[in-house]
Amino acid sequence: MSPQDAFIARVTALRNARPQAAPDRESAAEGGCGVIGLASTVPIAGRHLVTPLAQMRNRGNGKGGGIAAVGLDPTAMGVSAEMLADDYLLAVAYVDPSVRDEVERTWLHAAYCVDHVWDVPRMADWRELPGVEVAPPEVVVYFVRPRSDRLAAFWAQFAPQSGLGPHAKRVEDEYVHQTNHRFNVDYYAGANGTRAFVLSQGKDLLVLKMVGYAEDVIRYYRLDEFTAHVWIGHHRYPTKGRVWHPGGAHPFVGLNEALVHNGDFANYQAMCDYLAQRGLKPLFQTDTEVAAQVYDLHRRTYGYPLEYVIESLAPTTERDFVQLPADKQAAYAAIQATHIHGSPDGPWFFIIAESLREAWRLIGITDTSMLRPQVFALQEGPTHQIAFAASEKQVIDAVLDDLSAADDRFWGRADRYWAARGGSHTDGGAFVFEVTRDASGGKALRCTDKFGRAVTLADVGIGVDEAAVEGVLVDISAVAGVLVERDQHGGANGHANGLANGHANGASNGHSNGHSNGFAMETTNGTTNGTTNGQSNGRASDPADPRTLVATWTPAGADAYLDALVAAASPADPTARTAVFAALDALFDGPYDPGALRASRLLARLDDTLARVVEAIASAHCAGYRVWAGPGDDARPGDDARPAPNESIDRPTLIIDAAGLHLDVEGPASVARVLVERAALGWRRFVVVGCSGHRFIGAGFGAESGDVRIDVYGASGDYLASGIDGATIVVHGSAQDQLAQIMKRGTLVVHGDVGQAFMYGAKGGHAFVRGDAAGRPLINAVGRPRVVINGTCLDYLAESFMAGDPLRDGGFVVLNGLRSDGRGRWTELETPYGGGNLFSLASGGAIYVRDPHGRVTDDQLNGGAFQPFTAADWAVVEPMLRRNEALFGLGVDRLLTHAGMVQPPESVYRKIAPGQVKALQAEEAWVAHAGH
Amino acid sequence: MALKAEPTPTLIGKVTHYLHDGFHARSHGLYEAPPALGDARWTADLLMAGWYQAEHGRPPAHLEHRIGASGGGFDRLAFRFEDGPGADASAAAADEDALAAIDTTIPLNRRDGGRQIVLTAPWYGGGMSFGSVSENVMVSRARAAAAWGTLTCTGEGGYPPGLVPFKENVITQVATGLFGVREETIQHAPVIELKYAQGAKPGLGGHLLGDKSTTAVANIRESVPWVSLFSPFPFHSVYSVEDHKKHIDWLRTVNPTALISVKVSTPADVDMVAVGSYYAGAHIIHLDGSYGGTGAAPEIAKKNIAMPIEFAVPKVHRHLEAEGIRDQVTLIASGGVRTAYDIAKAIALGADGCVIGTAELVAMGCTRCSNCERGRGCTYGLTTTDPELQAFVQPDWGAMRLLNLYESLQWQLRDILHRLGMQSVRELRGRRDALRYIAERGGAM
Repeated sequence: MSPQDAFIARVTALRNARPQAAPDRESAAEGGCGVIGLASTVPIAGRHLVTPLAQMRNRGNGKGGGIAAVGLDPTAMGVSAEMLADDYLLAVAYVDPSVRDEVERTWLHAAYCVDHVWDVPRMADWRELPGVEVAPPEVVVYFVRPRSDRLAAFWAQFAPQSGLGPHAKRVEDEYVHQTNHRFNVDYYAGANGTRAFVLSQGKDLLVLKMVGYAEDVIRYYRLDEFTAHVWIGHHRYPTKGRVWHPGGAHPFVGLNEALVHNGDFANYQAMCDYLAQRGLKPLFQTDTEVAAQVYDLHRRTYGYPLEYVIESLAPTTERDFVQLPADKQAAYAAIQATHIHGSPDGPWFFIIAESLREAWRLIGITDTSMLRPQVFALQEGPTHQIAFAASEKQVIDAVLDDLSAADDRFWGRADRYWAARGGSHTDGGAFVFEVTRDASGGKALRCTDKFGRAVTLADVGIGVDEAAVEGVLVDISAVAGVLVERDQHGGANGHANGLANGHANGASNGHSNGHSNGFAMETTNGTTNGTTNGQSNGRASDPADPRTLVATWTPAGADAYLDALVAAASPADPTARTAVFAALDALFDGPYDPGALRASRLLARLDDTLARVVEAIASAHCAGYRVWAGPGDDARPGDDARPAPNESIDRPTLIIDAAGLHLDVEGPASVARVLVERAALGWRRFVVVGCSGHRFIGAGFGAESGDVRIDVYGASGDYLASGIDGATIVVHGSAQDQLAQIMKRGTLVVHGDVGQAFMYGAKGGHAFVRGDAAGRPLINAVGRPRVVINGTCLDYLAESFMAGDPLRDGGFVVLNGLRSDGRGRWTELETPYGGGNLFSLASGGAIYVRDPHGRVTDDQLNGGAFQPFTAADWAVVEPMLRRNEALFGLGVDRLLTHAGMVQPPESVYRKIAPGQVKALQAEEAWVAHAGH
Repeated sequence: MALKAEPTPTLIGKVTHYLHDGFHARSHGLYEAPPALGDARWTADLLMAGWYQAEHGRPPAHLEHRIGASGGGFDRLAFRFEDGPGADASAAAADEDALAAIDTTIPLNRRDGGRQIVLTAPWYGGGMSFGSVSENVMVSRARAAAAWGTLTCTGEGGYPPGLVPFKENVITQVATGLFGVREETIQHAPVIELKYAQGAKPGLGGHLLGDKSTTAVANIRESVPWVSLFSPFPFHSVYSVEDHKKHIDWLRTVNPTALISVKVSTPADVDMVAVGSYYAGAHIIHLDGSYGGTGAAPEIAKKNIAMPIEFAVPKVHRHLEAEGIRDQVTLIASGGVRTAYDIAKAIALGADGCVIGTAELVAMGCTRCSNCERGRGCTYGLTTTDPELQAFVQPDWGAMRLLNLYESLQWQLRDILHRLGMQSVRELRGRRDALRYIAERGGAM
């Protein structure tokens, strides 16, 4: 037996021998959650999580909230940096404060040398926290070392001791783990009631939790100014048990890590059995606990590298497995064979904070099927790096907003947002953000995927150092290994028409032409624009289009331009305001080369500018634009001053400021309901600004709402455009999950990415997505939806698609497999579709995939089949691509360009349609025969 | 018609073949012929009693109209008064006036001051989609629901135009396939039913085999004609309870005044599901147990999975009580609720009311020949959209039969309440003490 095996065998035997609580598996709770994690080279104060967490309350129910913090500030707790690094940080929650003396006397000092005690401060009265119904525990943090006599006695149980040399540290860790486990059994999970329990027990890792929301934890324990390099916040939404207990809240700990979870496990019992065979039993009656135990077992006890631990949790399966290199297949097959019963089955997204001597880590892992929402993000400045993993993009933006208000190093937008493809051979469905320290105290943040491959900002055209833009650019193509084609016109095509799509709304059509900024304004959604193939239609020669100017701007130049926009919007002049919105849209939507500017910083500046423009309009309504003043403002279109006689304003715009009015995310006072109610008063054109996760925007207008148009800015929320029947909705940025459910008619434009289950059950309508879709787009869609996705999808695109015959008014999806790189250029992805399930079980419609290299293969199809791409197909695809060009500046010629030449469509696009010849149904035959 | 005592290897082979290939391929040979009149759960007596009630508005005197012969479920439960003298429930009740004074109404909204719906009697009609049944059947049910003061449900096949005049009495079902669900159909509805699962086939979505997916059916679902339709087993937008809440919030955005019903099957943790649904905003929690009928589910699912409804109802009822929210939510039981006695038993076990489906088809002539999944399989024109066959059921005729059935069910329910000394069906809820278990058929425990 190797020393490693001997160690594991001994640990398992000792764990089995210790007293156990009788776990009540029946009553283990499950439920949903909202999660956020961040890792930063700059210490982040707890208060920056308060607003973001409050914005995500609708993912919890106040029955459990918790935080974990890693990379702490020793001075805040009154210890030295050395003690923080060397001592175990034992956080004990006293549910019954009266047992503290007894605990310290009979247990703590017997097991540990206590170097320092920090009473975690707390609010004088927990009842001041609205909605909190259960007293939070009193928490005391002890900085401890195992007593040497006890440790020696524990160590003596390991044999042969001679083999333990390399494991000395691990024995000490195990001593702490088992000692505290006994304590938890005695004081929390056993027969003596829930009096106290260990919250966290690693080094430089603090966990706090209570019955409430996560931000309640920060408030109650006065963590507003408490800093850490890694934070996790978690709202719990349990569905069982009337007596809520803080021990059931997340995070759960092993030793060096804290884990939070959104989702639940279908195989909780099997996981318990798996763990029981290895001497571990859950104590806290929440399914998540077993995931933390599995992680800790594999990581600390078995000593697996992180990649293998991730594989054990989210196994690589199906086509992705066979795409792995042979050595990985062998290793993964062994992991799966051994540990599949410890692998949580079901929807889950884990965020883990890990504190190791060499690094502080934030890890996000999604389940193989990507059933929970997940988004990752990265922002890098000259003197900071910050990374996120969260349930929603909006909560990330909220943290950045909060940080940027307090600290000039940050700005309100991340440089990159993305999602993981669960259990994949591409990124492994997991990302690891690691903060490391050098000898001089400098910090660096490194992001890698499951396989250890670095994620940089190179592929969005951004280097860490803004001053060295050109140098970084050179690296892009090398690092990303993608085709970077410098298309002379690529970024420019069709922009003038794209503008027209934005805001023809303030003034009647055409009236703004030639005004201040002189943008070409058109009234259509691009369908009738006169763009011809690939022509750079005037933008390059139009000095007023800000996109042609950006590349020459300095930050100060940008500010001056944006200030000028605010000034132009200030007089009550609808024509000028229309032009201002057109300019803002051009800059929000891009793509363009931002030159020396950081695109994300420019976007953050635009957010501020938009807010100021809205403020200006609010103080001077005009016939074309009105800012809704809130409940009680029942103005109808036309109530404001009439325009000059030679102007006719037939489509005035109502601006809804979600942030300024503190409108609810859902419910009767939500943005979505406000829109519907204002529409009942006659309004048809809307601009929604200041979104922070506001849901259902566009829902509720009912049938025949073809003349409604909504432009949405900020971090809009889930279910946007769901059910629309004719309306046009434009999202100036990325959108979240469940967009355009059951969409019937109308147009949805998203100048960014869309999240999960996009257009689920859609019946029709046209949608244009500049970037990617996450998992399950177009699933169960019927009728005639027509969609262009310019990026790719995680997986399960158009499963059970039933959208008729695309050549006879049916539906289809065009998948272009390109990405705009932040420099205004479109580059090809390695493959237009990496997932193992494309068009599965579909009975109608088609996928048109831009795949000149033929990288999509038959084994990705389950029921679909490649079919010849004909002129008839191009006849339905081209009009959609023309509109797409007008919206996103992605020229049809660029799409048809391959190997340096414009190719015929059938050389670039491939058609996937239902494969099987349908069996003749008996009734069908009878009806045909009877002539019915 | 029973099978031979010992099935022959040939028969076993054939049945195995049907399990794999579907019963619609059945050749109707001598031994494997479907029972012409019922089965153990729906006995010939029950079917004929259903027909009789639909004719007369009262139960028949000489048929067993209270229970079937399944040897389980509600057939193993009896009211204690059935033991004593005068146990024959069909005996003339003492006083029709006294009976008429007994309250059978139940409210559906117990949690907020929004829309109030009070049902005349503690049941409404379950979801049967356009496609699984004809539009004439749907309109018959809607017409009866409107006349009687109850509700019926669209199922997940869309909203045929014939239902619109009755929209105040029609629940719009939002199920995992989202077929035919549009904003206006959500806005029509007094109650929106989120169907997560069906007790007859939990873990499976809706099925409509290609043979029944006629051009008319496919048009309203906007699918491809003559292609089998399988709804996904989950909502792809709902994998967690906060997603569920979001889903409800969405529907409430589209129709803020509708009540929300959450229809789930009965897995082992059904109590947790119920509580989670309540906190997500549901007014009605609808438990669909395993005895339910469906025209289109694999036999393996129909016969083998989900918790029996008589276990699930008390489990959830007690759990809701323990949570302190029992009086804020309406608990509805379904899945094999056939008779007035079944309804009363479900209520005594802890439900507020029931959903009935097959009983209504029986009133319109169904003999449980279990040929529902075929396009031209239904001899009575019920589970078909075939243009010829569906003409057998005319809405005025169908509605009249359903009204007679409702009348009879209400009369029997009042009779039961009268025997229990209760003045209102609301008193019966959770009175498990009024029931006893029949240990063996005919014997007392």
